[in-house]
Amino acid sequence: MSPETAGPGESAARGPRAGDGERERGTATLGTLLWAQTKKRLLLMYRYPLNTLSGLAMTFLFFGMVFFGGRAVAGQALTDSLGGIIVGYFLWSMALGAFSGVARSVTQESEWGTLEQLYMSPFGYGRVMIAGIVVGLLESVAWGAATLAFMLAVTGKALYLPVATVAVLTVFAVAPAIGLGFFFGGLALLYKRVENIFNVMQFVLIGLIAAPTVGVVWLRLLPIAQGSYLLTLSMQEGIRLWEFPPTELALLAGTAVAYFGLGYAAFQRMAGRARRQGLMGHY
Amino acid sequence: MTTAPEAVSDERESADGRDDASVEAEPALSVSGLSKTFGDGDEAVRAVDDVSLDVQPGTVVGVLGPNGAGKTTLIKSILGLVVADEGDVRVAGADVYDDPRPAYARVGAMLEGARNVYWRLTVRENLEYFAAIGGESPAAVRERHDALLEQLSLADKADETVNDLSRGQKQKVSLACALARNVEVAFLDEPTLGLDVESSVDLRREIRRLADQEDTTIVLSSHDMDVVQAVCDRVVIMNGGEIVVDDTVSNLVDLFRTFTYRVVVGRTDAVADADDAPLDPDTRDRLRETYAIDGFEDRGKWTAFEVSLGDPERFYDLMDELRGADLVVNAVESVDPDLEAVFLELTNGDGSTPMSDPGESGRTAGADGGDRA
Repeated sequence: MSPETAGPGESAARGPRAGDGERERGTATLGTLLWAQTKKRLLLMYRYPLNTLSGLAMTFLFFGMVFFGGRAVAGQALTDSLGGIIVGYFLWSMALGAFSGVARSVTQESEWGTLEQLYMSPFGYGRVMIAGIVVGLLESVAWGAATLAFMLAVTGKALYLPVATVAVLTVFAVAPAIGLGFFFGGLALLYKRVENIFNVMQFVLIGLIAAPTVGVVWLRLLPIAQGSYLLTLSMQEGIRLWEFPPTELALLAGTAVAYFGLGYAAFQRMAGRARRQGLMGHY
Repeated sequence: MTTAPEAVSDERESADGRDDASVEAEPALSVSGLSKTFGDGDEAVRAVDDVSLDVQPGTVVGVLGPNGAGKTTLIKSILGLVVADEGDVRVAGADVYDDPRPAYARVGAMLEGARNVYWRLTVRENLEYFAAIGGESPAAVRERHDALLEQLSLADKADETVNDLSRGQKQKVSLACALARNVEVAFLDEPTLGLDVESSVDLRREIRRLADQEDTTIVLSSHDMDVVQAVCDRVVIMNGGEIVVDDTVSNLVDLFRTFTYRVVVGRTDAVADADDAPLDPDTRDRLRETYAIDGFEDRGKWTAFEVSLGDPERFYDLMDELRGADLVVNAVESVDPDLEAVFLELTNGDGSTPMSDPGESGRTAGADGGDRA
């Protein structure tokens, strides 16, 4: 046996095997898995209504405080940078949703005692997680769209909204946040109580989104920073995806894939360590 | 990875409690040389020590052991949730470590009692979710879910959130979710813990039905000896991470049977208001000497005593002796050990010291890691 390589079996074939006999097996597809994760998420949101609504209300309220408070203090300065603030807040709400969706799902499933059940899925734990992330991303985009609509209505500000461009840029911009979620989710498997890190990450994400990438170019190598830069250009100046220089898009794709991949690899490694130490089901 | 040994000993085969035809089938579960140590150096704890066992389809195996014996680590190591240091595990031929997904398609597990379901989902929503992540379309197993709910007396609770159910009902939901699809091997860790009598009986009935009617192999760990004795074909007793006993329940009980009886006798001419004890001193001395009887308990016209005969043939000698002394036998009660007594004997009461060897005739596995029956 090779415990180091004994992961969730991503490369393993699945489905009916010889000798199954009369036991029918493997009627579910990846679509079934995605729908199961979507349905569970929707039902849990519905069954925890206060949590769902308070999350949305806090997002709106926090922006209201930033906008009205900032206008009272900074006046015209805030109005001049309002477009950037709205885009940044829009991206922050989605990045935070994606990050915490991954990281908190690990801790919640562990706390609920369901993590080991998910791990034993014949789809492979990775696919179960990815399906959950896709659902979480869609949820984040939905909340982000609602938040954006709220911000535009409150401020009266007009922004460009090339839907396809914004959608693509958003996915790539948020991908590093998912990678970070994987990393901290892996830490949660090993060290359990890491909620304080989650709270700190809210501010770290603000810093990454607001990084001065125009003046300090290398900052674009940080997670989310390049996505934030391009999304701001697109929504403030109406630049379409194909109008960006290929190098800018390559950097966006590169950082997205790299941080997502690194986060996922780190998660897998930490999950393996948690299994070797017998910590998978602990909380 | 090495392959599991193909040949199994006669002892192990018969220990499955299955008929010859099923013994020849591929094991539903095959564990070979599984070991797991937590920690390093002086703090290292050998939680599972060279455990091997083959389980034939449709067998219910009870894993017993004192706290810290390694039961849960064994089950989680079998499932790959805890990575073992050495050994192989195959479920219906699929290697859990090298090729886990086909293996996971064949197993269901109830590991955390009522905890491993979503309390804010309804009973049916839980079943559908766990069927889906287990690789089955909920629509394809809808009838199975209906039947499970019926058999576990949960049909009228199908659309209630688990949070609103009693503990026993939650536990049943957990079992149902482990069986939400057609699994070949089910692992149940303390399935009856904290259940009331009625719920426990429901669960026992369902476990037996799954094995008998669906040929599902079930590995359950429990501290409830009544449950194990009632539903298990085979018992594995662990101590210090090792399997110290692997045998059928009846064989184990037989192994420790001492042919001990509680006998109540009286004088043939006794009258209801007689004051004298029915056994005279000479008879007492003779019985003490011949049968090593420790004490006699006088109750009016009756005297009771407990006698261990060792050999069932000596029972008739005792009866002849009593009749020869003009005594009438009022009652004879067999005082056979139950599984709990056997377990306590094997684990020295609390499992703090190694077991005593019950004898050469038993299929008790030694600590040498040899062929474990």
